[in-house]
Order: sequence, then C-alpha cells, then structure tokens
Amino acid sequence: MKSLSILSLVAGLSFCGSQAAVSADAERGRQIFEKVGCYQCHGFQGQGANTGPKLAPDPLPAEGIAAFIRNSGETLMPNYVEAVLPDADVADIHAYLLTIKKPPSVKDIPLLNQR
Amino acid sequence: MNEKIAVNRRLFLKGATVAGAAAGSGAALVPTETKALTAAGKAMPPSAEMMRAELEKPTPIAASSSEGGRPGSDFMVDVLRALDIEYVATNPASSCRGLHESINNYAMNQKPELLTVMHEEIGGAMAHGYAKVSGKPMGLLFHGTVGMQHATMSLYNAWCDRVPMFVMSGNHLDAAHRIPGVATTHAAQDPLAIVRDFTKWDDQPASLQAAAEAMTRAYKISMTPPYAPVAISLDAHLQEMSYGEGEKLRIPKLSKTAPPAGDSEAVRDLAKMLLEAQNPVIVVDRLTRTPRGMPLLVELAELVGAAVVDQYGRQNFPSRHPLNQTDRARPVVAAADFVLGLEVSDFWGIVNSFNDNPSQKQGTRIKEGTKLATITTRDLYIRANYQDFQRYQGVDLSIAADSEATLPLLIEAVRSALTDSHKTAIGKRREALAKAFDQSRNRLISEAATLGWDETPISTARLSAELWAAIKDHDWALVSRDARLSNWPHRLWNFDKSYQFIGDSGGAGQGYGMGAALGAALAHREHGRLVVNVQGDGDLMYGPGALWTAVHHKIPLLTIMHNNKGYHQEVMHVQRMGNWRNRGIERASIGTKIQNPDVDFATLAKSMGMASFGPVTDPNELGSVLKRAVAMVKAGEPVLVDVVMQPR
Ligand code: HEC
Repeated sequence: MKSLSILSLVAGLSFCGSQAAVSADAERGRQIFEKVGCYQCHGFQGQGANTGPKLAPDPLPAEGIAAFIRNSGETLMPNYVEAVLPDADVADIHAYLLTIKKPPSVKDIPLLNQR
Repeated sequence: MNEKIAVNRRLFLKGATVAGAAAGSGAALVPTETKALTAAGKAMPPSAEMMRAELEKPTPIAASSSEGGRPGSDFMVDVLRALDIEYVATNPASSCRGLHESINNYAMNQKPELLTVMHEEIGGAMAHGYAKVSGKPMGLLFHGTVGMQHATMSLYNAWCDRVPMFVMSGNHLDAAHRIPGVATTHAAQDPLAIVRDFTKWDDQPASLQAAAEAMTRAYKISMTPPYAPVAISLDAHLQEMSYGEGEKLRIPKLSKTAPPAGDSEAVRDLAKMLLEAQNPVIVVDRLTRTPRGMPLLVELAELVGAAVVDQYGRQNFPSRHPLNQTDRARPVVAAADFVLGLEVSDFWGIVNSFNDNPSQKQGTRIKEGTKLATITTRDLYIRANYQDFQRYQGVDLSIAADSEATLPLLIEAVRSALTDSHKTAIGKRREALAKAFDQSRNRLISEAATLGWDETPISTARLSAELWAAIKDHDWALVSRDARLSNWPHRLWNFDKSYQFIGDSGGAGQGYGMGAALGAALAHREHGRLVVNVQGDGDLMYGPGALWTAVHHKIPLLTIMHNNKGYHQEVMHVQRMGNWRNRGIERASIGTKIQNPDVDFATLAKSMGMASFGPVTDPNELGSVLKRAVAMVKAGEPVLVDVVMQPR
C-alpha cells in the first residue's frame, strides 16, 4: 500500500527516456529509483538538484554506483545496505540511468539563451 | 470611568443607532449628517454594500453617546496615522472591537485600511512581506490570548528575519468589568508573555496617554536596526472608553533613530584587513535594509576586488555581477585568506562543516590562518531562549553595528588606504573572478539547466527559464525563496534591483509563503510591478485562506504552485533516518507526502474567486499558460498556476 502510494505519484506520467532502450530491468530500475527515494534528492530523471548531484545521462559505471550506494562516506548521501536495496536492484537502477537520453543542447534551447 | 463604559456597552449591545453630533474637543473630524450605523450583532450587510462601504469616498462619522466624549480608539487611530501606518491586518475579535469600529467609521477604512485575514499567522506573514518591500511596518490587530497564540510563529519568523512588525492585541484586564464567559477565557494578566522571547519590546498601557507613548516608542524601537517585531496590548477598556473635553491627550513626536554605524577605529582596521588580503571574500545575508544597500556593496566589492557570496536573506548583490561567486561558495571560501560576514545569521556555518549523518563529523571549511571579521546588529541584541543566534564563532574583528550604515565609512576608509600596488593586485583578482563567474554560469546553464528539460514532472530550471521569459520585459519582483528551485532564478534571471527579491521567512516556520507574498505584492502594487510567488504546496495548506484575502483586497500576484506533493524537506529527513537504521526508506512517505488525495490547487483557488490554471504537467504547455496568467495579473488580478514539478 505504502509503496504503491509513492508509485502513484508517477502513474500516468509519460516516461520520456529512450523507449527503444527500455529493457525489463531498466523499467524495474525506474520503479525502484522512485520507490526507494533516489528521485527525492537527485530528481526523477537523475538530473540533479541542490539536494544531490546529477546521476544521468552518462551515469557512473555500475560498480561505481554500487560502491557509492553502499558506502557514501562522509557525505550527505545516506547509505543503502544490501538488506534494504539488494545488489540486483542497484543493477536495475543503473540500467535505468543508462536509458536516460542526453538533453537537447543548450544552443537549441532559446529559453536558455535569453538575456 | 468604568460606569461610563458600562453605559456605552449597554447602548451598543441594544443595537442603538448612533447619531452624528460634535464629539469631544479632541475630535479632529467634522461632524457629519445624521446617519444610522449598523450596530454589532445585526446581520452582515450584503457583499455589494460591503464593497461600497470599503470603496466609497469616506465621510468620517463622529461618535456620540449619552454622556458625550470621544471614543478612546478614535484617538488610537490618530496615533496610527501619526505613525504613518497604512494597513492593519486583522482577524475580527471582541477584544479589538473598539479599535476595529474606529477604523471602519472614524478612519473610514482609509489609512489605516483593514485587511481581512483568515488566520493571524497569515496576517503576520503579510506584515513580514510588506515590511521587506515598503521598508516600514504594517499594523496587526489581533485578539488577546487565542489570536496571539495563532500569531506567534509569524512573529518568530519576523524576529529571526530582522523585520519590523507592529502588533496590537486586545485584552480585558479588569475582571470586575469584563464580560463573563468567552471574553474572560481570552483575558490574561500578561498577555504578551507568549511572544516576549521574540519581540524587541512590549507594553500594556493603562491610559490613553500611555497608549500613545507606548505605540510611538514601539514603532521607534521596531524600526531601529536590528529591526524586530514589537507588541502593544491595547486593553478593550481603553479602546471602548470615552474621554472628555478636559482630557488633553498628546501624540508624541516620532523620533526615528539613526542606525548604529561601526566604531571608526575598528572600521579602519577592517579596511586594512580587506586590502592586505590576497583572496578576500564577503559573505552577505541580510545586508540590504534600504535601496542603498546593494550599490554600496557593489562599490566595496569592486574597490577591494572581493568575491561576494550571497546567502539570499535579501537581494544584496546583482546576480550577474562578475564578482558574484555564490555558485562557487565552497571553493571560494576554502581559498580565502580573509572572510568578512555582513549581517550573516550563521557565520559558524560558513566557516565550519557539519555532516548530518551518524558520525556528525565537523570540520573547518577555511585554510589555517584565514582571518575573519563580521559586522552585524546581531551583536547588539540577543535573547536567551530561542537559538536563532546560531553557534558561536570566534573572529579576528567583530563590529557590533548595522552593516548598511557602516559601509559608507568602510568604503571611505578603504579609499584612503588604497595604494597603487593594491590597485594592480585588485585589478588582476577582479579579472580572474570575472572569468570564473562566466565559466561557472555557462557551465551551469549548458550542463545543468538542460537536464530533464523536456521531462515530466517539470524541472525547476525549466520552470525558472519559462518564468523569466514571461516576466523579464516587465518591472518584476520575486517574493519567494528560490532555494526550493535549486536557486535557478538567481542563476538565470537578472536581479539588479534590491526590491526584486526579499529572501525567506527567517525562522523557517511553515505557513509563511502565501501571506508574505501577499504583503509584499501589496507594497509593490502602488508601483505597478509584476510580482511572482513560487509557492510550496505544504506551506500553502497551513493557511489557504490567504488566497481569499488576495482576491478580496485585489492584490495582483502571480502564484506558481511548486506542486511536489509533499513536505519535501521532511521526506528527505525521514529517509535519512530510515537509511541510518538500515530499515530502508520505502515508508518515508507516511506522514510526509500530500497525496491520496492530491490537492487540486486550481480548484482550491477558484473556490475563493481566484483565477487559476493547471495542474500543468507538460513543460511545453507552460510558456503559453504563463503568458496568459501574466496578462491577467498585469490587469490587476491575483492568479494561481499549479505546476507539477520536480521536488527541487
Ligand atoms: C537524502 C538525499 C539523497 C538520496 C535519497 C539519495 N542520494 Fe545519492 N547523493 C546525495 C548527495 C547529497 C550526493 C553527493 C555526495 C557527495 O559527494 O558529497 C549523492 C551522490 C550520489 C552518487 C555519486 C554521484 C557522483 O557522480 O559522484 C550516486 C551514484 C548516487 N548518489 C546514487 C543514488 C541512488 C541510486 C539513490 C537511491 C537508491 C540515491 N543516490 C539516493 C543525496 C541523496
């Protein structure tokens, strides 16, 4: 129930990552990314905010992400232990981050070129 | 005296009509034609009539009662006028009925004009936002005890944010003459004790003359830096009593206090420290009290070639000035050999790190040997209970003074100590900082703002860019904090006037946003500015009645709902705990999310007569919606646009 309520937040939102690249794992990874709250600090598409850095596009390698999630050291990122976020889930999150397309280039966005 | 009041009360409660007749000698107003007044207890007139009453050209109505004299609260109105109080926000209350009636019928709801608020906390927030734009306090008229209990947090926010606020509350002190039951439940011996820890001064005068002096003193104290709220308990007895011919009441002269400037020797030492530094950094939080603040800081920073880090407590420094290094705060402070804090509330937090994880590791953010100095009114006034004074940070030079008042002296001291060799080094430093500013800004825009550009929920960068396009050709102001938007407005927009931004609540008490935005928009209204409020969803729900006040008082304001469907800061805190305890964070939504059901903000606004759009979920629709909304706001309406957005 409770986790469903988080999921319902994004129900009906279009998934704008590369449709072609969506594997079963990536789709599951997207759901986990939302369910375990990565999006709260990193944004729904891992785009980053003042609460957490950008994770995608071009994510860290899978091992890098896994290592950071397990032991984020003296940072503001909370650790996730295996019991609450199994390795398989981390791999799926990585697969999801890989599907996130590059955004348009700044020169193609007039709104970002206004004075 | 008490008997007189009793007579007045009886007449009043019987619904007696009050005929025009010359009031006591103190009455400044010409008696008018006989005109019946609706007494308390009668049915409310229809709203059209109410509107007419509020809008028609006023003809003051002189009071008359069987024993003659002039209402005490009419005299209080004279005092408010002498203090140039233009608005009084109120939620109606029996202990304030005397003054309320005098504002309606003696002041004819013009200077001061009453603003109806649906919660005292909204009124407090309105006064907070209003003062930061107009530079002077709004009056607040609140019921004793329960009204003040509602109001407390808004006063605490203003206290922390160093904002003037003029609170008047009612009371029924005299147990022998107050109405039994509710009025007695709401009476108190020391009614302002509840706010004494976060007001600069309070009083409960026992006569009308004492009330005039207390009100004038309160105003003066509130407006002496450090600005802070003040509160006066105006007993119902004083409001409702009549005073006669013989009583010579006097409104004392308001003597405005010049703000305290720094000691001249200390200022010279500070100038020397600034000039000797190789990498000076100025960190600024609530410097700008008046329009003079920003140009003075620009002058100082350019003169010494200092990097400026703006903590956005006010609009202190132009967002596109090449010395603005706010987005590079960490590395700039780490490289500094001298840091000057101007009206910074948490200087410890600039110099030290604190990691909010189980280790609570604390460390320094500065190099060994870095010199520190501060100018702040915080060193002039501090209270013991609430900890808004933050952790203690030792510095090399501490000047207890108002920064804005001290800057002209500091600039002069720097000029007279400036040599050619300083000038060469300063020129090079300014060039390097300008380059760093350009690089940092370009990188942010090309590498960070574009991320998630076309995605849903809408990114805070996209919202900010769309908003900028919609407002930039107008005379605009942002009246909400932009940290919740990952500071994109300050990164993308050109803030170059101090009225364009007012900082945040100060005390981080929720329920501030909409009220403060309204108060600020009211102060901007006479200048015809386009005012934008990006409003937190959780914050609005503390006092959605503020939407009604916006419509009722015709305050033009564009409100963008930052609809992230939760108390986001708290979501992150609960997540943090779940992870520390290795229990996961799947249930962090319990008690933190605002879902099931989602709040339909557009319908909420409409229910109170406010035009609204949304929820907008498609970033490509945002531009056209904002354009329409801006046109409506420019025509004088408050409008709400609900935007489903990324959390930050
Ligand atoms: C409470 C906020 C928060 C949450 C929730 C959170 N993170 Fe982070 N994350 C951060 C912060 C802050 C950092 C930056 C840490 C630093 O280097 O100081 C970070 C850093 C990272 C990094 C390293 C990025 C880099 O390029 O160095 C990765 C990878 C990461 N997070 C992944 C995740 C994933 C996956 C989740 C969900 C399972 C998650 N985070 C949940 C706040 C958060």
